[in-house]
Amino acid sequence: MVSKSQRLMRKIPFIVACLLCFSLMTAAPSHAQNTDSSDSSEYLIKAGFTYNFAKLMEWPSGAFAQPDSPIVIGVLGTDPFNGTLDQVLKGKQANGRAFEVKHLKWGADLKGCNILFVSDSETAHLDELFHNIKGLPILTIGDTPGFAQRGGIINFVVEDNRVRFEINADAAKQANINISSRLLSLAIPVHGTPDGRKP
Amino acid sequence: MNLQNLSIKRKLLLITMLTSSVALVLLSASFLIYDLVSFRHFLSNDLATQADIIGYNSATAMAFKDASTATVTLSALKAKEDIVAAVLYSPDGKIFAQYVRAGVTHPALPTDLPQANTSRFKGSYLEVFHGISLDREPLGMLFLQSDMSQWSSRAKSYAIFLFMIMLVTAFLALLIASKLQALISRPILRLEDTMRVVSTKQNYEVRALKFYDDEIGRLIDGFNTMLSEIQHRDAALQGANDELKMRSEELEGEILHRKQAQEELLTAKRAAEDASRAKSAFLANMSHELRTPLNAIIGYSEMIEEEIQDCGQIQNIQDVQKIEYAGKHLLSLINDVLDLSKIEAGKMGLHLENFEIAGMIQEMVATLQPAIAKNSNTLRLNLADDLGMMRSDITKVRQILSNLLSNACKFTDHGTISLDAQRLENRDQQWIAFRVRDTGIGISEEQQENLFKEFAQADVSIARKYGGTGLGLAISSRFAQLMGGQISVESEPGKGSIFTVQLPVQVSAERADPASPKPQEAEPRHPEPPPKPQAETILVIDDDPAVRDLMSRFLLKLGYHVVSAVNGDEGLKLAKVLRPVVITLDVVMPGLDGWEVLKQLKSDPDLSNIPVIMVTIVDNEVAAMNLGASNYLVKPVDRDRLAEMVEQYRGANAASNLQNIPVGASHASQKSVSTPRLDPRARRN
Repeated sequence: MVSKSQRLMRKIPFIVACLLCFSLMTAAPSHAQNTDSSDSSEYLIKAGFTYNFAKLMEWPSGAFAQPDSPIVIGVLGTDPFNGTLDQVLKGKQANGRAFEVKHLKWGADLKGCNILFVSDSETAHLDELFHNIKGLPILTIGDTPGFAQRGGIINFVVEDNRVRFEINADAAKQANINISSRLLSLAIPVHGTPDGRKP
Repeated sequence: MNLQNLSIKRKLLLITMLTSSVALVLLSASFLIYDLVSFRHFLSNDLATQADIIGYNSATAMAFKDASTATVTLSALKAKEDIVAAVLYSPDGKIFAQYVRAGVTHPALPTDLPQANTSRFKGSYLEVFHGISLDREPLGMLFLQSDMSQWSSRAKSYAIFLFMIMLVTAFLALLIASKLQALISRPILRLEDTMRVVSTKQNYEVRALKFYDDEIGRLIDGFNTMLSEIQHRDAALQGANDELKMRSEELEGEILHRKQAQEELLTAKRAAEDASRAKSAFLANMSHELRTPLNAIIGYSEMIEEEIQDCGQIQNIQDVQKIEYAGKHLLSLINDVLDLSKIEAGKMGLHLENFEIAGMIQEMVATLQPAIAKNSNTLRLNLADDLGMMRSDITKVRQILSNLLSNACKFTDHGTISLDAQRLENRDQQWIAFRVRDTGIGISEEQQENLFKEFAQADVSIARKYGGTGLGLAISSRFAQLMGGQISVESEPGKGSIFTVQLPVQVSAERADPASPKPQEAEPRHPEPPPKPQAETILVIDDDPAVRDLMSRFLLKLGYHVVSAVNGDEGLKLAKVLRPVVITLDVVMPGLDGWEVLKQLKSDPDLSNIPVIMVTIVDNEVAAMNLGASNYLVKPVDRDRLAEMVEQYRGANAASNLQNIPVGASHASQKSVSTPRLDPRARRN
């Protein structure tokens, strides 16, 4: 028979492991996604997310000229990534396609883009933008509160120091882009279209 | 209880059960093991699949650092009871999200992670590491830990199921085996029963029942064959035994019969021996009883005859002579019978002495003159010059020859009888051949056959015509054989007969009695010396007054002084006083007998040199000679031989005193006889 102290001794590693797990669970995300420390780390995460979004998207067949045509990501307005997006996507592929990042100004042709990151700076032009690209298979990603409600497909939000995102499935449908349910299950769902605000 | 001594029934059951149980257990165990192994494999695959699903589901959460969503995803594992822990690790090895089943203790979570997908059994736990990726972009690692409760519960239920199956199967096997073992055990048990009946009741007629034509069936066949063989042999043995018993009973009967016969034979033999002894005793007695009166008859008739002659009364002399002849004939008959009985009893001894053959023949012939003259025959003697001496029993040689010559005289009338004697050398030995030839009636061949047999005269009629007992030739033949010789005959009826006696010159000593008498004087017999006038003293010791009287008278005639004693004691006293020249001694006497007297005489140095002549009815010359007697005469006394013996000692001793007064009642006639008379011989046949 083993005494109580011995039994306790045997449980020590387990207890230590539990404590360690708990501390990691609570501490690590706050560290990793701390947006307060610098914009660069926030946008590093956002760049990663963007990369991941590309993987979970399904564009209509006509969206790409060639089977190996790169996914063209247009950054419209002021580039908040400050180059990290290029860094993150450099050499990466999604569904067999490479990435091409274009920095665009308001008024530029958006037809060639597959993903369009709409910067905070373009908030004034949002309705016009959505109107212009209506019906085009372009995944619009915003960084502005209400972006999704106004007709954008994905919008980054920061909650409790964590980067999250809103997805407007209706807008995706209008853009003829199929979003993976696995992505949808993680997103904050938002409804609304550029036309009538609410369907 | 020893297993080897179990009954065959139980053994069969045991074997069946053990075999089937072992097979069953092995089979079940291998099934179980196979199932559990494959189930583990299945579990491992299953867990890997689950890890795959969960990994897929949590991949986006990992990709978008959504720990809470990941935790929610992991929490879905609540439905899986066997999974005790699930952990999502970020690529840097840190825990991204985890799920731990509440209320369950589980081993520590791994700290070092493998590079690839892995599934492993650690203790009673199954652990799976599964890499998580999104579009080939590795995002981290999923760790699943299962306590395999499914497996253990499955193993448990499987074991219980197998155990139940085994129980049921064993029961069925027992049921079937107990039914089927009879196939083997029943015939064996029946065989055993039969065997018991055979061995306990010795009943070989029962047979074991055969069931099947298998090895046991053949065994039973063999047993039955053996049984019938035993039965057969038993019967044969019984038969032989019975026969043996019968035979042995017969044999016993035979033995009993023989034993009775043997006892009868023994009784008969004893009776015969008794009879023989009685006959011997009777003969000895009779010879004594017959000779004693004959002694008197012959003696006194001789005396009377002499006195008649002296008186000149010639007319009476023939009557007296007839009495004398008749007495002597009777005496010869008795002697013959006694001789024969002695020969038959093997008691006839030989008294060997050296003597001159020619002299012996001359003496004998002289005594035969009357017989020769009777039938007007003439006797011719043809004696070889070199005859010389022979060593033999003179009495018996003489008896044989006188016998043959008397016979020749008897059966020849006006003829010639010749006696030839010559030496022969034959078979490395010296022989004397005596041949007696006559010209008488002869003997037929038929008669010759029985000639030498006792009581067998040539013809019954002959006995009547010529007289005789028919014993003479038989006795002669026996005497000749006794001395190592033989008698043969050649004859032609009407022309005459030739009897040939062949005797060894030296009769070997072994033919005589072992205690051979001391050889008698080899001194050749002289012709009778002229009687001397001096009267010398002779002592006669005899209890019979007639004998004393006759001896005295006869010896007085010979010119002796005779003193007689009536018994041994008196004789010894007189011998010491008188110192006689000769002593005659009787054997059978009251008081001291003749043998004792002889011994005392010979042991006395003063008397030992006095010659003793035994005069007796007891015919034991050999014993007498051994004791030191000088001569031996059988009563009735042949006076001529007595005279001969006495004369040879005359003058040997110093002349005794004639003046001595005779003590015994003896006549003292002082007559002397010039020559011994030629009396008709007593021994004739």
